[in-house]
Amino acid sequence: MIGFDAILASFAAALHYESIVIILGGVLLGYVVGVIPGLNRAVAIAIAIPLTFYMSPYAAIAFLIGLSKGTAAGSAVSAILLNTPGEPSSAATCLDGYPMARDGKPRKALKVGLLASVIGDLLATLLLIVVVIPFASVALKFGPYELAAILIFALVFIAAMAGGSFLKGLAAGGMGIILGTVGLDPETGAARLTFGYAELMEGVPILPLVIGTLALAEMFVQLDEYRRNKGASVIKLSHDKADDLSYQEFKGTLPTILKSTGVGAFVGALPGLGPSVGAFMAYGLAKRSAKDPDSFGKGNPNGIAAAEASDNAVIPASYIPLFGLGIPGSVSAALLVGAFMIHGIQVGPLMLRDHPEMLFTLFSGMIVASLLMLAVGWYGLRIFARVTSVPPHIVIAVVIFLCLAGIQVQGYGTFGLITVFVFAIFGYFLKKFDYSFVTFLVAFIVTPMLEMNLRQSVILSGGEIGILLERPIALAFVILTVVMVLHLGWSSYRRRMQARFKARAGR
Amino acid sequence: MTDMPRKNFWSGVGVAAVAAFLLAWVIPTFGGRGFAIGMPPKALATLGAWLMLGCAGLLILVSAIALKRAREPFFALPAAGHLWHQTWPFLYVLGFILLIDRFPLTWVAPLLIGGLLLLLGERRWHVVLLTATIPAAGLYGLTAHLMRIGVV
Repeated sequence: MIGFDAILASFAAALHYESIVIILGGVLLGYVVGVIPGLNRAVAIAIAIPLTFYMSPYAAIAFLIGLSKGTAAGSAVSAILLNTPGEPSSAATCLDGYPMARDGKPRKALKVGLLASVIGDLLATLLLIVVVIPFASVALKFGPYELAAILIFALVFIAAMAGGSFLKGLAAGGMGIILGTVGLDPETGAARLTFGYAELMEGVPILPLVIGTLALAEMFVQLDEYRRNKGASVIKLSHDKADDLSYQEFKGTLPTILKSTGVGAFVGALPGLGPSVGAFMAYGLAKRSAKDPDSFGKGNPNGIAAAEASDNAVIPASYIPLFGLGIPGSVSAALLVGAFMIHGIQVGPLMLRDHPEMLFTLFSGMIVASLLMLAVGWYGLRIFARVTSVPPHIVIAVVIFLCLAGIQVQGYGTFGLITVFVFAIFGYFLKKFDYSFVTFLVAFIVTPMLEMNLRQSVILSGGEIGILLERPIALAFVILTVVMVLHLGWSSYRRRMQARFKARAGR
Repeated sequence: MTDMPRKNFWSGVGVAAVAAFLLAWVIPTFGGRGFAIGMPPKALATLGAWLMLGCAGLLILVSAIALKRAREPFFALPAAGHLWHQTWPFLYVLGFILLIDRFPLTWVAPLLIGGLLLLLGERRWHVVLLTATIPAAGLYGLTAHLMRIGVV
């Protein structure tokens, strides 16, 4: 286990000026991306991964984490000034942010959002650090039976919780599993689903897959929606002194921020739920527990504080299953796994054993990113407010170029460009037909790990399923998975029957 | 009633067709062979395809019942204009991918960006010019730097 001196050394490394510059770059880029409606965190990380190829593993991950945090905070700006969330998770911020800005208090609304974002993010980061180490220490004792059972449970759980239809979620998981098996079989060396292409021997290249399905497909969706969303108007920031946030006003939002951070951290720690669920849950809780619930939706700063604190707390908390068990619970966590893989590091509990310094330096970097987020957001308020006016057609054209350039610079050549295009079509249909993207991506990422653990389990047990009775943790997860599937099937059937009875009664 | 049951029905049909194709031909032919003590090479892919087929089958069944109950038609073709609006961006990007295969991206990039801006209704020449050239110049600078340090 890592000693106290090593922890101090990791903090010192995170506070080195080079490290700060890289994290600042990530936060700044994330903020700009967050502010621009139509660009989201997943798109930003997907097109930024090629930039990190030439960085050290720590610098690459710190940059991407900074970017991820920046997008969450930045998306509040367009939600407040434009009534268009930069991220879907900021939709709850629009409810009170835009009315407050329209009433002549845009700066106050932005500052409440920023402070809530930073506090939510910082507290959840501290929680991650406290929770993940004991979590990973326990997970290190797990064998292949437990890990295989946990991974299957996580996939089913994500399919159930990621929103939309459970059946479509599971089908998307099946697609991810099939694509995850492409490449050389680790045991027999047989080429699987490579169709004779040498480029597929090591599996489907992750960069064209994420750029295609996330970034390029999103731009095609944006192009489709572009004609409908022309002509949104931006609220300008004034220099009015009355529009400044006072300490008393901030203090009034603090209890909401703390409560909402708790909600966000809880939601984030559960794989698949995501920041949108966290933000709306916290907003609902703040409204229900307020003395003046009617003021919500009309410009109540507590509404902004609740949504933003929870939204930002979800992101660090979603790294708990990632660093603790190696299970990415969200799209951005899955993309981080991809970045780790590109840099040759296996993310998960093994990091605590094999790269503890790296893990602690990352944690320190996350705290630095939270603080930089405050500085960037506070001093860049006016600049970011201007960024909201960047027309969407310029963003779409430039991002399409960046998608192709990212593949080309990495030397994937024509094969990479065709792969990115094929995955863009695939991603477009996933989005249009509402198939869970997170389940697909997580299944694709964890399939090699799942296959290895399943294979080891089959070899160790000799195919005897009764061995599970001697492994209570694995058995518990298998039972939980079965119970969850039955419960989801039953509750969906009941919902349908209730809807049918209602429709009959209405006739 | 929304068009979701119809979308579910047809997407279910699509997924089921793909899964059946995978199970019937692709996985048995290209899924890999060889002696394995534990799991055969194609076991997990087969499991994934069965998962897709099972879920898509249920989705078809559930949405077909919903469509029948609501007395909604199974077919509703979108307007040709709408279909074209959804298709042209793909053709545009595919066209440029073919161009990139023959010419350097730094040459093609200004055309890609500028052309798309014009198609999307941008008529201010300075906006088109700057947006088209700045990213291409940035890519040129990055490529030159990577070549100098020996990465590309």
